[in-house]
Amino acid sequence: MRHFIGWLLLLFACASAAQAGTLTVRVVGADGKPVSDAVVTLRPQGGSAPALRPQGRYEVKQFDTQFHPFVSVVPVSATVYFPNLDPFKHHVYSFSPAKTFELKLFAKDQTRSVLFDKAGVVAVGCNIHDNMSAFIYVTDTVWTAQTDASGQAVIRDVPAQALTLSLWHPYLSVPGGVSNEALAASGADRSKTIQVKLRAPPGHHMNMGAY
Amino acid sequence: MIGEGTGGRVAAKTALVLAMTIAGAAPLRAEPGGTDILSAETLTATADVRLVGVDGEQSWANGGFGKLRYGGDNPAKPSDFSLKPAFAEADIVWQPRFSWSLSGTVVGLVQGGDKVQAGLSEAFLSWKPLESGQVKLSARAGIMWPPVSLEHSGPEWAVTDSITPSAINSWIGEEVKILGAEATASTQFGGNKISLTGALFDMNDTAGALLTFRGWALHDRKILAFDEQPLPPLNAMMSMLQPRYTHPLNELDGGYMKRPGYYAKLTWQLPVPARIELFHYDNASNPESVNYELEWGWRTKFNDIGLVAEPSDKTLFRAQAMFGHSLMGYPMNGANWIDMRFRAGYAMLTRYIDKGSISARLDLFGTRNHGSAVTSQDDEDGWAAMLAGRRNLAKNLSVLAEIMHVESDRDARARAGLASEQPGNQVQLSLRARW
Repeated sequence: MRHFIGWLLLLFACASAAQAGTLTVRVVGADGKPVSDAVVTLRPQGGSAPALRPQGRYEVKQFDTQFHPFVSVVPVSATVYFPNLDPFKHHVYSFSPAKTFELKLFAKDQTRSVLFDKAGVVAVGCNIHDNMSAFIYVTDTVWTAQTDASGQAVIRDVPAQALTLSLWHPYLSVPGGVSNEALAASGADRSKTIQVKLRAPPGHHMNMGAY
Repeated sequence: MIGEGTGGRVAAKTALVLAMTIAGAAPLRAEPGGTDILSAETLTATADVRLVGVDGEQSWANGGFGKLRYGGDNPAKPSDFSLKPAFAEADIVWQPRFSWSLSGTVVGLVQGGDKVQAGLSEAFLSWKPLESGQVKLSARAGIMWPPVSLEHSGPEWAVTDSITPSAINSWIGEEVKILGAEATASTQFGGNKISLTGALFDMNDTAGALLTFRGWALHDRKILAFDEQPLPPLNAMMSMLQPRYTHPLNELDGGYMKRPGYYAKLTWQLPVPARIELFHYDNASNPESVNYELEWGWRTKFNDIGLVAEPSDKTLFRAQAMFGHSLMGYPMNGANWIDMRFRAGYAMLTRYIDKGSISARLDLFGTRNHGSAVTSQDDEDGWAAMLAGRRNLAKNLSVLAEIMHVESDRDARARAGLASEQPGNQVQLSLRARW
């Protein structure tokens, strides 16, 4: 009898797995060009999603007077390290509700770390170098992916349920900063193209006359 | 058996407690409040050497009417084109950090020319606290240039994409340096950033002298604290009332901050890569003050409007327009000795290429005199065109090449035996190093 239930459970597991597909999202701008650094999240409508577990070491480096990467996705309860590779000090901070912190970093090769315990978007800056900017998207769901240089994000094992798809980008010009749409239940592999309207990014050469 | 085990456990526990005590007593990595007064990180040195080719009249820097940094050798007539090496400038920049919100900038420089001059360029404190909240505050105080130029950047106030700045920013560099305190408040909303800056200052009581007696110029010589700038031949009356030099950083009207000047700046960064700047300056000096050297007070006011925009990822457009008015001396026959209106503008396009940039700029400038001692003989009109390229050779080494052509019309040139209209051509190759 135990074996029978075991086989039945295995059968159900296989069946559920067979009902989970891959969602490939392509994000393009108003001009049709691919948009990188967009974060796509899926949440079941009326239900919770399984959490993403911290995997590996999360880092936001400072070098060449900029943060690298510009956008990173980390799970809730991840620790992010901030190694300073520049030959001068940075003063890294954020006042975002999801995490307010201040890191008075010293010169090259010093590292500080921050624990991100709440989901949300954290905007990171440097008080000494105004043009440094980064975003850390702290996610509470395993169904989160970031678009790459070709504008593509792939979410695997998407369950066959009705879902809400949320799209966030640092320059998304939408009230609330996130655009949501419904996604019908399906167990098949599918792809979707979303067109977004973005604000112009801050110019790279605009800090002329910075005193 | 049991006794041995207990003894072993006690020993192990004692060792552990001892280790933890030692570890606890050793200082944790200290947060020293970011203080760094003198270290390799706080010091920077820069040097600029050049190859210069120039023709035309003698430069203003040698007491002539020439509009460029370099010029011909002959005060009496324009020279043919000739090439020569030149040491331009060497800077030492010291930026101590007193805390995470308070730092300093001190720049000493050695400037080449006919005579090599050395002195203090700027010395000021900067305060920039980290605060949440809608409004961000910052402040500066000391000897510094007012934030007018869109062509200069960095603590050593270097021209970034060319060797020579525009006429407007050349004048700021040579005659508009102040001792004062400035505060800025900025706020952001909907992708816009608005900043308001206000300052009270003194020690710029002679601003306007160079523009009146010499007119506009295009060059990158900086005024060093308490140093003097030469003037070209003056008219008969002014020769009795004014020496052939002026000290820009100068207090003449009753004592420091007894009659402070002020400047105000409004900056609007739009949600697209474009920024507008509005600047107003008034040194509030007394035009009837005079010191023992016969240098007079100049009541000078100006408005400047600036625009920076990045129309594409690799292109930067900059433009400024300045309109001002200077008064000096006693009223005579219904007008102050000097009642001069000045105006200038430029438009510049910079294209960023691999490891450098290429820039093209057009300048227009002019002055009009309605005074009783300095009249339309000292009026001026002119324009200049510049093409420059910069290439970064290594992390700390860059080379710049620049061609400039200037044409100006100034009747006062007759005092030097020259025709009113004089062209000038200057080619420069500059090697800049930084440590």
